Order: sequence, then structure tokens, then C-alpha cells
Amino acid sequence: MGQVLINALVNAALIGPPAVAFSMLFGILRFPNFAIGGYITVGAFAVFAFNVTLGLPLVLATLLGMAVTGALVWLSDEIVFKPMREHSPITLLIVSIALTLILEQGVRLFWGADVRGFDLPLTRPMKFAGMRITVEQVWIIGLALAVASLTHAILRYTRIGKAMRATSDNFMLAQVRGINTGRVIAFTWLYCGALFGLTGTLGGLDLVIEPLLGWNLTIPIFAAAILGGIGSAYGAMLGALLVGIAEELTVLVLPSTYKVGVGFIIIALLLLLRPQGLFGEAQIKK
Amino acid sequence: MTFYFVSIATYVGFFMIMALALNLQWGMTGMVNFGVAGFYAIGAYTSGLLSVKAGWPVEWAMLAAPVMGLIWGAAVALLSIRLREDFLAIVTLGFGEIVRLFVLNEDWLTEGPRGLRIDARPLGGMLDRDQYAYFYLALVAVTVLIIFLISERIRRSPYGRVLRAIREDDVVAGVLGKVVLRYRIQVFALGGAFMGLGGALYAHYVQNISPDVFMPMVAIFIWMSVIVGGAGNNKGLLIGAGVVMALLEGTRFLGDFMIWLDAEKLSALRIILIGVLLIVVLRLRPRGLMPEEKFRYNP
Repeated sequence: MGQVLINALVNAALIGPPAVAFSMLFGILRFPNFAIGGYITVGAFAVFAFNVTLGLPLVLATLLGMAVTGALVWLSDEIVFKPMREHSPITLLIVSIALTLILEQGVRLFWGADVRGFDLPLTRPMKFAGMRITVEQVWIIGLALAVASLTHAILRYTRIGKAMRATSDNFMLAQVRGINTGRVIAFTWLYCGALFGLTGTLGGLDLVIEPLLGWNLTIPIFAAAILGGIGSAYGAMLGALLVGIAEELTVLVLPSTYKVGVGFIIIALLLLLRPQGLFGEAQIKK
Repeated sequence: MTFYFVSIATYVGFFMIMALALNLQWGMTGMVNFGVAGFYAIGAYTSGLLSVKAGWPVEWAMLAAPVMGLIWGAAVALLSIRLREDFLAIVTLGFGEIVRLFVLNEDWLTEGPRGLRIDARPLGGMLDRDQYAYFYLALVAVTVLIIFLISERIRRSPYGRVLRAIREDDVVAGVLGKVVLRYRIQVFALGGAFMGLGGALYAHYVQNISPDVFMPMVAIFIWMSVIVGGAGNNKGLLIGAGVVMALLEGTRFLGDFMIWLDAEKLSALRIILIGVLLIVVLRLRPRGLMPEEKFRYNP
């Protein structure tokens, strides 16, 4: 049972940061961005390039990879999404699916579909009280906690964080009150991009690095963000924990290949019972 | 070469069936369905399993497919009561993936990743190989025509007017006394039935179906057909299906010019081109090549 909890924690730590990022993007731009899968894949391969191809230590490679991913995600907004701000959410959703295809297949074009791993010394899992946990898993959990605290600090105590909350609450009002929404959006994309880059590293540590890495994480991320009440960063973290636990518990009774299905069923049930998510506030349409 | 074109035309027919069905659900009624591949798979496996494993006559098995599509379509439509369109997108995508996971994992029924071999075909053994290719093309073409006529009939009727009203603003449609959920279930179920029929026709044509055929990619192609052609316009998306197929097949020949690309990279490049085209079309012509006709009411 303790082992299940550890696995669930690792799972949650893996999908927590991108769920926060997805939720923040949704809060401001109001459409579910399917391109997160592509962003995470690009992040993983950027870190891989710095770590394995250039031989840099993983920590440095991760920081560089986060910068590259942040820049690319921001650029994707400038080129693809910004000119289409006025379009309906469903159009933007389709555009984001097209974008994720381009990013994933772009990675496949350069690196092929082979499965890879980071350049890391092999370590033995630590054992205590009959449970096994690897050094990588400790890192994943620690980093997710750090991201959660940092996001909290930014949203709570900085000017840009306040501006982000205001923009997310009411875009028009924020604009009227003199908030530079363009800058807020740009910062959000950059910050979220960095989180997707980090997820690339964490995903590569826990799973394997391949073009579909991001796609396989997309559904649990959606589930976590929606469960937490979309647009709420704290909700997303709790949502990640619940999805992590739910997925690990189902592995006990169902083949693990059904994991993705579990994410979807959580989403569907939750949306039916509580369309605004656990912590979201009901929005009035039109 | 003729053989190649006959087979391409048959595939365009499958695209058209699926695109017409999606247009009914999304283009006319505004219900997002990203689970197209799931309905396609349901139709294909229903017909395949009934004819191969249950020993049904192939014609009956093929007719059972739209019935299954109808039932599942109605079930999924029930979810639309409380879901906004972007959340419905996520849930329907999930539906499609769950169908695929089921087919992949339950080998005792579906043969799993090995794929299901289907040797039963309508009029099998009565025609030789070449005649059969033409016969099947005709069968698919007639199906397209029938579904097209039904769709057009719906579009022009008062019923279609209600659907458009729901698409534009379901609250107003409800206030005007239309039971929105009933229309949504009917339309989604009918679309599901058409998709199931498309899946059955496909299954008995290729004679070997496996889970990897029903990846979400299928849904992307169908969505592209509808978007490129013009959502809400049945004629437009017949053209859209042709354009998407031309792109899919045309990019195969890229390999002849770019000989340094291996098969893996070539397929990656083709999908990238498709993604770029989708974005460009949505940016430049968000309403497609043939936008929906303005509706005039002629008593």
C-alpha cells in the first residue's frame, strides 16, 4: 500500500507542474490548449540535446532546456495563436491540435521515433520500510513542490502575478484598469513554457524520451486541471494528486494500458457532476 | 494504375461518409466530436466480429454496425447536457481512445494488436478481382449519395433550422420551446450511425483491421475535410475530403524528390505539412473553401 502511495506521489508530481501551466493558460486565453503535448516533447528533446549530445550535466541541461522551451512556446503564441485571438475556442482548439502534430512530428523528423534516456549514472533504488524509491523519483517530487511554491509566490506576491490574476478574472476590466495584458500574456506563455520544459525532463526521468511522451501525459494533465477547477493553480495541484492516486489504484485491478482511459473517465464523471471542477467557480455563459 | 485510382476513390468515399456524418453533428448542430475514430472502430469491429466470429451473413453484420453506432452516439450525446463545447471535445476524444484501448487489450474478442482478419465480403466470390474493385467503389459511392441526400434534406427542412438555432445559441432555442437535448441526441445518434456504417464498409474493404488504424489521427483527417470544405456545407466538404486525400496521397511522392528521407522521416514530414495546412486554412479562410450558404426562408 505504501508503494502505491509513493507511485501515486511521483505520478502527481509529474503531472502537477504542467497541469498548473495548462490551467494558467486556460485562465487567460480561454481555450484548452492541446499543444501542451508537443511542448513537453520538445522540452524533453531540448534537454536531451544539451545533456546527451552536448554532454552537459543534467541540471544545467534542464535549465537551458526550460529556456529554449519557454522561448518556443512564446514564439508559438506570437506566430500561431496571437493573430487568431478573436476566433472561437473550438477553432483555437483545432489549431492547437495541428500545432502539437507539427511539434511532435518535427521532433520525429530530426530524432526518429527511437526510445532514448538521459545520461545519468545508474543508481540503486533506496529502500525503507519495504518500499522502493529511486533518486530520480525523489528529484521529481522535490521539483514539483518547488514549482508549486514558486507559482504560489509569483501569483500571490509579485506585481505580474497580481496582473495575471486580474487578467484571468476579467480580461476587459484588467485592460480598462491599465494592465498591459499583452505583457501579461507573454509572461504567462514564457513561464508556462518553462514548466513544460521542466516536465520534459521529469517525464524523461520517469518514463522514456520519445516523440509521444507529451501526448501520453496530455490526458492526465487535462484531468488534473479540470478536476481542480480549470483556471485555478492550486486546484490543479490537488487535482494532480487525485489523478495520480486514481491511476495507481486502477493499476491494481486493470491492465496498466487502461491508465489513459481512467483519466478520461475521471474527466467525464467529474464534468457531469460538477461542470466547474472541484474548486472552480461557475461561470455564466453569455 | 487504374487499380490505384479506383482504390483511392474508394478511400475518398470513406472520408466523405465520415465528413458528412461529422458535419451533421458539428457543422449543422455545433456538437464537437473528436471521437470520430472511435465510432469508425465500433462500426468496423461490430461488422467484422459478427461476420467472422458469430457467423452472421455479411449483409446483416454490416447493417448491425450503424445500429451500434446509433446506440453509442445517443449515449455520448447524453454527456452534452452539461458540457461546454471545449469540454465535450476532451470527453469525446476520450471516448475514441477508450474504444481503441478496449480493442487493443481485449484480445480474446478482437485479436488485439495482431488485428482481425475479415474474409467475409458482400457478393464475395461472384466477381473477379477487377470487377470487385469497381463493385465496391459503386457500393461506397451509392452510400455517399444516400447520406448526402439525407443530410441535404435535413439541412433544408424546418428540422435543420432548429439545429442551426441550437448551434448558434442553445439557450435561445430552449426558450423558444425546443427540447434541445432531444435534437442533440437524435442528431448525434444519426451521425454515429453513419460513422458506424462507414466503419463497416471500410472493414470489409481492407479485410484486416487493427487498433492502430483507429488512432486519433483519423479524427484529424475528417475534421480537416469538414473545415477545409466549409462547415455546414455538405457539397463543400465533399470537396474537402478530396483535398485532404490529394494531400495525403500527393505527399507520398515527396519521397521521390527527397531521396535522403527514410520512410519514418517522410511520414513525419507529411503529417507536419497537414498540420501546417490546417493552421493556414483556419487563419486565412476560417469558414472553409465553400462557406455555408446563407439560409433563405421560402414558404
